[in-house]
Amino acid sequence: MVRAGRILTLLLALAIFTLTSPVLAAGPAPTGTPEEMVATYRSLAETILSAKKTEWNLVSSILAATYQHAEGTMAQAQGEIKAHKDAKAQIEKLAALVAELGNEGDSSVASVRKKLVEGGHHHHAAEEQQGIYDEGYVIVTRTAKKVFLEAASNIGKMAGSPNAAALTSEWGKVSKQYTELMAHK
Amino acid sequence: MSLRRLLCAGLGAAVFLIGCGKASAPSPAGASPPGSFKFTDVTREAGLTRVLLAGRPEKDHLLDSAGAGVAWLDFDGDGRLDAYLANGWKLSGNHIVEKGRNALYRNRGDGTFEDVTDRSHTAGEERWSAGIAVADYDNDGHPDILVTTFGPNILYRNRGDGTFENVAATAGIEAPGWNTGAAFFDADGDGNLDLYVASYIDCTLSDVLEARRTLDWKGVDKVAPGPFGLQGAADHFFLSDGHGRFREASAETGLVDRALGYGFGVRAADFDNDGDMDLYVANDSDPNYLFRNEGGGKFQEVGLWSGASLSANAAAQAGMGVTVGDIQGDGFLDIFVTNFAEDYSVLYRGDGRGFFEDVSEIAGVAGPTFKPLSWGAAFADLDCDGDEDLVVVNGHIYPQVDRHPEFGLTYAEKSLLLENDGQGRFQDVSAGAGPGFQTARPGRGLAVGDYDNDGDLDLLISNLDAPPTLLRNDTPRRGSFLTVTLEVPPGRGTAIGARVIASAGGRTLIRDLASGESYLSVHDQRLHFGLGSALKVDRLEVRWPDGSRQVLTDVPANQFIRIKKSN
Repeated sequence: MVRAGRILTLLLALAIFTLTSPVLAAGPAPTGTPEEMVATYRSLAETILSAKKTEWNLVSSILAATYQHAEGTMAQAQGEIKAHKDAKAQIEKLAALVAELGNEGDSSVASVRKKLVEGGHHHHAAEEQQGIYDEGYVIVTRTAKKVFLEAASNIGKMAGSPNAAALTSEWGKVSKQYTELMAHK
Repeated sequence: MSLRRLLCAGLGAAVFLIGCGKASAPSPAGASPPGSFKFTDVTREAGLTRVLLAGRPEKDHLLDSAGAGVAWLDFDGDGRLDAYLANGWKLSGNHIVEKGRNALYRNRGDGTFEDVTDRSHTAGEERWSAGIAVADYDNDGHPDILVTTFGPNILYRNRGDGTFENVAATAGIEAPGWNTGAAFFDADGDGNLDLYVASYIDCTLSDVLEARRTLDWKGVDKVAPGPFGLQGAADHFFLSDGHGRFREASAETGLVDRALGYGFGVRAADFDNDGDMDLYVANDSDPNYLFRNEGGGKFQEVGLWSGASLSANAAAQAGMGVTVGDIQGDGFLDIFVTNFAEDYSVLYRGDGRGFFEDVSEIAGVAGPTFKPLSWGAAFADLDCDGDEDLVVVNGHIYPQVDRHPEFGLTYAEKSLLLENDGQGRFQDVSAGAGPGFQTARPGRGLAVGDYDNDGDLDLLISNLDAPPTLLRNDTPRRGSFLTVTLEVPPGRGTAIGARVIASAGGRTLIRDLASGESYLSVHDQRLHFGLGSALKVDRLEVRWPDGSRQVLTDVPANQFIRIKKSN
C-alpha cells in the first residue's frame, strides 16, 4: 500500500517545481494541465490500481485459507458424528469459520477494513434496501454474505443435535457460494 | 458451553420476605382500552434543572453529539428512587467554556428532588462524563456508581452515609479514553462483580477541540465526520479480585474487542439459559458483539453466527443503545438495539439457546423506528397489562439537518412508545401517549423507574444542551403490578444477573437484574411486573447468579416486596 505521506511529498515537490518553472515565470500561462502533473497522476493511478490488485489478492488468500480451514473442520465434524463422538466443538468451529467467510475474515480483519471505508456514518439506506450495499467488502457481495451467515447460523444450531445429512446440506450451500465468488476472479 | 451449576437447595426452602409496601390501588383491570397511555412532563416541578452540556452547538465532533446517560438508584436506601445525571462539557470553537457537573438528585418523596451533588461528592471530577452503571461492586449493601468518561473512568463508592468517594484509580479501572457503555456482571462465577467498559473512538481532547465538520451529508451540508474513517478504541474488561481491585483481563477471558468496534451500549444477561452471564455490546456501524460465556470465565464471540450482530439484510447497523426483555412471554430473552436515522432499530428474537432472528419487520418495530436516530430504549410494561412495551428515545446527531427540511429529518425528535399486543407485535401509540410524547427533543439516555412509588414506571430522559426530561406515567393502569427488590447479604455474592420468574394469571413473566442498559443508562433495579387482571402471583421464583433458587407462592399483587437471598 502506498503511504499517504509519500504521495504528499511527491505532490508537494511537483507543486514547487511547477510554481518555480521558467514557463510560468516567463509570461502568459499555457492552457492545459501541465504534463508533469499528468505524468505524476498516471504514475499514481498505476500505484493505486496495483494496490487494489494487491488488496484483492490478499482478501482472496484470506478467504481461501478460511475455506480450507472450514473444509477440514467439516471433515472432522463429520468424522466425529459418524463415530458417535461429541461433535459440538467442531460444529461450532465450523459455524464460526463460515461466518468469517461471510465477514471476509474475522473481526480483526474488519478493524482493518473500516480504516479503508470512507469517513462518516457510512449508511446508504437505499442501497441497503436493494441489497447492494457492501460496506467496503472486496470480494464477498451482500448476497453471498447472507448465504454464508445463514448457513453459519444453521450449522451452529446443529451443535446441540448433530445431523450429518443436514450438515452436508448446509456445507453444500457454503461450498457452492464460495466457488461462485472465486469464479469471478 | 459451561455445565450448569448445581442448584443450591433453595427450592422450597425458607424464603425471606423482609419488607413490603403497598402502593395506591390500581384502576380496575381493563378499565382503559389498549393504546391509552398518558405521560406528563414534570421535569420543572420535580426540580431536575441541571443543564446537560454537549460540546458545541454545531456539533463539530461526534463527542459533541454523543450525549450522556441517566440513572435511577436508591443511593440512601430510603425506598425512593434518586436520579443521577452524567454531564458533558460546553465548548465554543476550540475552547472549553464549561466543564459540566454531574448531578445527584435525592428523591424527597413528594414528587420533587433535592440536588445533593455537592454534599455527596458526585459531581464527576470535572470530567466529560458519558455512561453510568450502578451496582454494589464491593458488596457492602450500598449501590455504587460507575461513571464512564472521555478520560479516566470514575468509580463512586457509596460510603453508606450519603457520600461517595472516587476509588477508580485504586480499583484499577480508570482506563482513560472515550469510554461509553458499561456493565458489571459476574463473568467467572466467583460471586464478585467484574466490569466491561465499551469504548468508542481513539481520539484526544486536542482532536475534539480542533475538529471541523468535513463530512459531506447528502451533498447539501458539512457535518462531523466519523465514526468510519476514525480509529476505534478497544473496549476493556476488568476482572475483580473480590477485594475492591480489578485487573484488565480481556485477552485471558476472550472478551476482546478484536474489531475495535465503535462501542456504545452494553448489556449482560444469560441469553442462552445455561446459568451464566453472557454479554452483548452494541457497536456503532460495526457488527454487534455477543460474547457467550463458555464457563469458567472464558468467553467466545458468537455474534455473527448467532444472528445477533447484523440486520436481516446482513448489514452492520449503527448500534447505539440496547435493551433486553421477553417480548412474547416465551421465557427467552430478546434484544432490541437502537440505530441510526433512516435505518430501523433492530429486534432480535431469542430462541433461548443463544440464537437470534431479526424480527423487526414482523414485530412492527421496523417502520416506526426507521426515520429517527435512536438511542435510549427500554422494554417496560408501562400499562401493567402483562406484557413489555417498548420506549425509544430519539434525536439526530447533526443540527444541520434542520436546514434541509426536504429530507424530513429533524435534529430534535419525539420519543416513541410502541405498545406490545402480548404476542410480541408492537404498535406505535406515541401520538396518544400524552403530552410527554408530543415534544421533540435531542434525546439520548433513557432510564425507566417508578420514582413516585405508585406502581407504574416513569421515564427519565437525557437531552443535549438542556435539562433532562422526567415523564411521569399517568396512564390509567390496566392491571395489577408487583415490584421486587432483590437483596444479597454482604459477602454472599451479588444480585446483579439474578432472574425473577413470575407466574400469574396463566402467564409467565421474566425479568433480570442488570447494572445498566439502554443508552449509557440505568433503570430502576427493583424489578417491575405488570400482572394484567391477576390479583396475585401464583409462583415467584428467584434464580440467583450462583445458581441457587428461592420460590414464593401466592404473592398478593400491588405491592413492593423485598426478597433477601436465603442461606
